[in-house]
Amino acid sequence: MANLRIEQLNKRYGATTVLNNVNLSIEDGEFVVLVGPSGCGKSTLLRMIAGLDGASGGDIHIAGKLVNALAPAERGIAMVFQSYALYPHMNVRKNMTFGLKFTGVPPTERERRVAEAARMLRLEELLERYPRDLSGGQRQRVAIGRAIVREPAVFLFDEPLSNLDAALRVSTRVEIANLHRLLKSTIVYVTHDQVEAMTLADRIVVMNKGRIEQVGKPLDLYYEPANLFVAGFIGSPAMNFFEAEVEGIEGGRARVAGTAFRNLDIPAGSLKVGDALTVGVRPEHLVRGEAGFFAAEGVVELVERLGEASFAYLRRVDGRMFVAEVRGRQTPAPGETMTLVAASPDVHVFDASGLRVAT
Amino acid sequence: MPEPVSNITVQMPRAKRAGLLLFFLGPAVAIYSLFSIYPLLATMALSTYTSDPSGARSFVGLANFETLLGDALWSKPFWNALRNNLIFFAVHMCVQNPIGIALAGLLSLPGVRLKGFYRTVMFLPTMLSVVIVGFSWNLILSPLWGVAAGALKAVGLGSLFAPWLGLESSALVTLSLISVWQFVGIPLMLIYAALLNIPEELIDAARVDGLGQFRIFFHIKLPLVLPTISLVSVLTFVANFNAFDLIYSVKGALAGPNFTTDILGTFFYRTFFGNQLQLGNPTMGAAVATVMFFIILLGLCLYLFLVQRRIRRYAF
Repeated sequence: MANLRIEQLNKRYGATTVLNNVNLSIEDGEFVVLVGPSGCGKSTLLRMIAGLDGASGGDIHIAGKLVNALAPAERGIAMVFQSYALYPHMNVRKNMTFGLKFTGVPPTERERRVAEAARMLRLEELLERYPRDLSGGQRQRVAIGRAIVREPAVFLFDEPLSNLDAALRVSTRVEIANLHRLLKSTIVYVTHDQVEAMTLADRIVVMNKGRIEQVGKPLDLYYEPANLFVAGFIGSPAMNFFEAEVEGIEGGRARVAGTAFRNLDIPAGSLKVGDALTVGVRPEHLVRGEAGFFAAEGVVELVERLGEASFAYLRRVDGRMFVAEVRGRQTPAPGETMTLVAASPDVHVFDASGLRVAT
Repeated sequence: MPEPVSNITVQMPRAKRAGLLLFFLGPAVAIYSLFSIYPLLATMALSTYTSDPSGARSFVGLANFETLLGDALWSKPFWNALRNNLIFFAVHMCVQNPIGIALAGLLSLPGVRLKGFYRTVMFLPTMLSVVIVGFSWNLILSPLWGVAAGALKAVGLGSLFAPWLGLESSALVTLSLISVWQFVGIPLMLIYAALLNIPEELIDAARVDGLGQFRIFFHIKLPLVLPTISLVSVLTFVANFNAFDLIYSVKGALAGPNFTTDILGTFFYRTFFGNQLQLGNPTMGAAVATVMFFIILLGLCLYLFLVQRRIRRYAF
């Protein structure tokens, strides 16, 4: 039973609010990724769960127990740091057993746990080595091993892959996913990398300016972003946005018009004539065509070829740019005028406050 | 990747490289030679001469050293000064450096207010002139008009007061402690800087591992600043065996009472320049200076070969 419940959590430094009324409930065994731009408060939230930073208000429950007043070691958590934070003057074995010594784990039990973690992480050969003799990936595994031997209720990862090179990042990502499958433990993982978030998470928590913008399964966030921020943050290249306005309402349908695309027809709901809207379409959902639910025109200025796809950067009528993904060998040439269309489920409409409007 | 500098210089024309070396190293070599190496060699050379009353010098080989270490008139004060100097050093090592380490540890704790204020206050005595420090403590500890007696009496410890600077049994330790008071800022600053260098995440990891601040200090911070502590020890050793000014300003060149505060520096001063009834003897003085040089050299070698090689610096 290692669920995690965060209620009305606040963190202020003087006049600046770092976390603003954060509520989050994490189930036992769930892999939750906190993601957001730097300064959004995700690391602070993780450090507060760990007990490294105090809260200005609110409660944290771990495994049903209120832990506000408990020291990090008493919370049943283990943390993997961005810099790994291995003790440089201790070998791998001591790095892993050091904390256990102070929490009263008997020596035989310590050895058993280290042996098990070493087997799981392929560290057996490295136990007598010092951190300075290890590669980045090996250090990372030791840091994870040090967390595992604590047998925590909740694992906390603070951007653990950001110091690794690209190839190692992918393989370590897979290893962490495997580890989660094996240990079935609750994991809270902080990253600014949305690929990590999408691939690892059972649920993603998107944060911005100290608030939670949306919590949901990776594909839900991708296909149904709750607001403009999430829509723009998840997905790469980012979603294209077009300014729009409600031009007229007839028979429960609203006619949405903008300078850079052909008129849209969406359910009126509570929209009124003259409401400002933003229409969003992902580059990968735009295809060459003549007519569709959504259609926009542009002049190709630049083409980025990635192999399996290319990104065409197009100048719209209103002078701004948008991006479309083009699959296959036939890439458009700069100067070419293209009409791109998208189907209705792939078109997102947001109201003036940034909230999603049903289409 | 940029080309390694060594390759760039290797490919240079020989004359250009020589010019470059001269330009960058020349000034330092010239100044160091003129003001450090030449005086050192000249002193060593002088120690192998003796002068007669007319002032004429003649080469005597190592005879001055024989006199210094063999003739009881010279060797007794020399060994006395060396022993006192070792005590002076021991007090610094046992009091100044542990206090410096402890204060640095306290200053580096999270959430200490007025850090900058404490740091400045503790470093302030180091910036004072030794003469002022010596004179002030002489006044403070004076049994006639010093505030020490009154201050002790005010807290009911008046019976503990003694004229510490005047007693043969306590004068040297008292002077050592005055010097400790003045210079504790140096180990404090060096170790504090080393402690600041330890990454915050390492301390966080130790907190997650269940260590309190006390254990973090002993198990994590202290082992990681060991290289700095050993550096501080060497600096203390060199400074202590070159010390002179504090003893001279408090006790004068005679290092009283009865030479109990005489250290190598004051012994050298009396030998070289003379004092009261003792005539100055530059050649014997040079011999004392040479011996002091070799004592410090020996200490440094022991440190380099026995300690430095076993200490590892950690890159974070």
